[in-house]
Amino acid sequence: MSDHDHARTAKPMVEEITDFEVLEIALRELCVEKGLFTAAEHRVFTEYAEQIGPTPAARLVAKAWLDPEFMKLALADANTASKEVGVDWLDPTGFGTPSDFVAFKILADTPKVHHVIVCALCSCYPRPILGNSPEWYRTPNYRRRIVRWPRQVLSEFGLELPDDAEVRVEDSNQKHRFMVMPMRPEGTEGWTEDQLAEIITRDCLIGVALPKPGVTSNVITRTRPAIRPIAE
Amino acid sequence: MGTAAERAEQLALVSRLQATYPEVPEWPAPDQVTHDHYQAYMKNSHDVGGELDVPHTYENKEEEQWELMTYVLCEVLGWRGIWVSEERRRIANVDVGRSIYLGLPYYNRWLWAVGRLLMEKGHISWGELTDRLVEVQDRYGGGLNGRIPEAQPKFEGDGSNVRRNKHHLDAVGIGDPQIFAGKAGPAKFKVGDRVKVRELPALFYTRTPEYVRGAEGMIAEVTYETPAPEDEAWDREDAKPEWLYIVRFNQSELWDSYTGPTNDTLQTEIPERWLESAG
Repeated sequence: MSDHDHARTAKPMVEEITDFEVLEIALRELCVEKGLFTAAEHRVFTEYAEQIGPTPAARLVAKAWLDPEFMKLALADANTASKEVGVDWLDPTGFGTPSDFVAFKILADTPKVHHVIVCALCSCYPRPILGNSPEWYRTPNYRRRIVRWPRQVLSEFGLELPDDAEVRVEDSNQKHRFMVMPMRPEGTEGWTEDQLAEIITRDCLIGVALPKPGVTSNVITRTRPAIRPIAE
Repeated sequence: MGTAAERAEQLALVSRLQATYPEVPEWPAPDQVTHDHYQAYMKNSHDVGGELDVPHTYENKEEEQWELMTYVLCEVLGWRGIWVSEERRRIANVDVGRSIYLGLPYYNRWLWAVGRLLMEKGHISWGELTDRLVEVQDRYGGGLNGRIPEAQPKFEGDGSNVRRNKHHLDAVGIGDPQIFAGKAGPAKFKVGDRVKVRELPALFYTRTPEYVRGAEGMIAEVTYETPAPEDEAWDREDAKPEWLYIVRFNQSELWDSYTGPTNDTLQTEIPERWLESAG
């Protein structure tokens, strides 16, 4: 999964296999030996998982900003609109990913309503179009606080909203998968789809940031390094 | 833990792991447990919305290879009908209990759920799992020495007699929740209706959070038909689908002393069984 945030340079060196790696390998081997799935199926899903990322979501919003008819489709039938950016929510199983389902919904910000998304129970997230969720989104800390003190949490992301704009927290706790459609900012007149997509960061699509000309990175870029990161 | 000294040290470590309210002795007699304490212990461990916490430095995390493999393992098991994702959520997010929920890494619980489910559904035995854990540990015992840990299945088994759910075949080409369309009957509520969230005991598993129990809101959307997570979590393929609703709450009414403006709202999605008319 592509990620534009920056890994710190010092990685911890751990020479011993971890308990987690032992368990994952043992379970995978047993599953294959019991015929629960094949190594080929595991590879197919691994390839699917490795290619998801936030680019299609950013392009979808950019397209919607440029085309009022597409905007209407995106808000009325987000599953279908996703196909315009190459995402079929039925992939790769034919019935949707087991964890993300086929019930994508886009929440349009207006001058009167700003949306922010959480899954207070776990970490439900529109992976097929937005890639995997950032670590902070999964933490009990974010999930405890954003539902009850949303403006405080948003201010920690540098986002202050006026009192007359309603902050609407969407707690994504069932089969729906949500994404925010932020408002198109000033200073982007005449921009191409590519230029617009560049400022529509993942954090804007969760609702913890607003798109701004010149800002192409997420609010949180600090990244904890892995012991043994994903093999290239 | 080969020596008596090592065993004693581990026992001392485990003894420090707090799991109960400090003001009540462990193993309380029934008369020593208040209803509030009972509810606190019974609360699903994943249901953290609104619990007290402080600002924290948020960061991203570079994914481990084993974490990617864990995610793939869980999804492939769903793809091949061994479970649905709600079974994983129940086991990994609630059955583990609050200590493991807060004390061990996120993807470790996904793995725990796989092992647990494979055992409970009779796909593997305790002996098979234990022997394999020992074997993998020994394979890399004495240090990795530059090796990357890898899975080395001994053979590919014949899966034709494995018990799988019907859903993974029925829903192909249709989607989930689309496969359940038309199966719930008429929706009880419509957009704009005032509703109240019922205060049900919610033992073992639910996805209706405590922070909305007893609260009144408005139906913002009638969404789709599906078996409720309270049924999907237990592999109840016989469960009747019901309608789900996005319910909108006013934050100033939902929370005691909400500090934001009075027009702030929160929406969450709730199965019909949890709602009653608020007139």
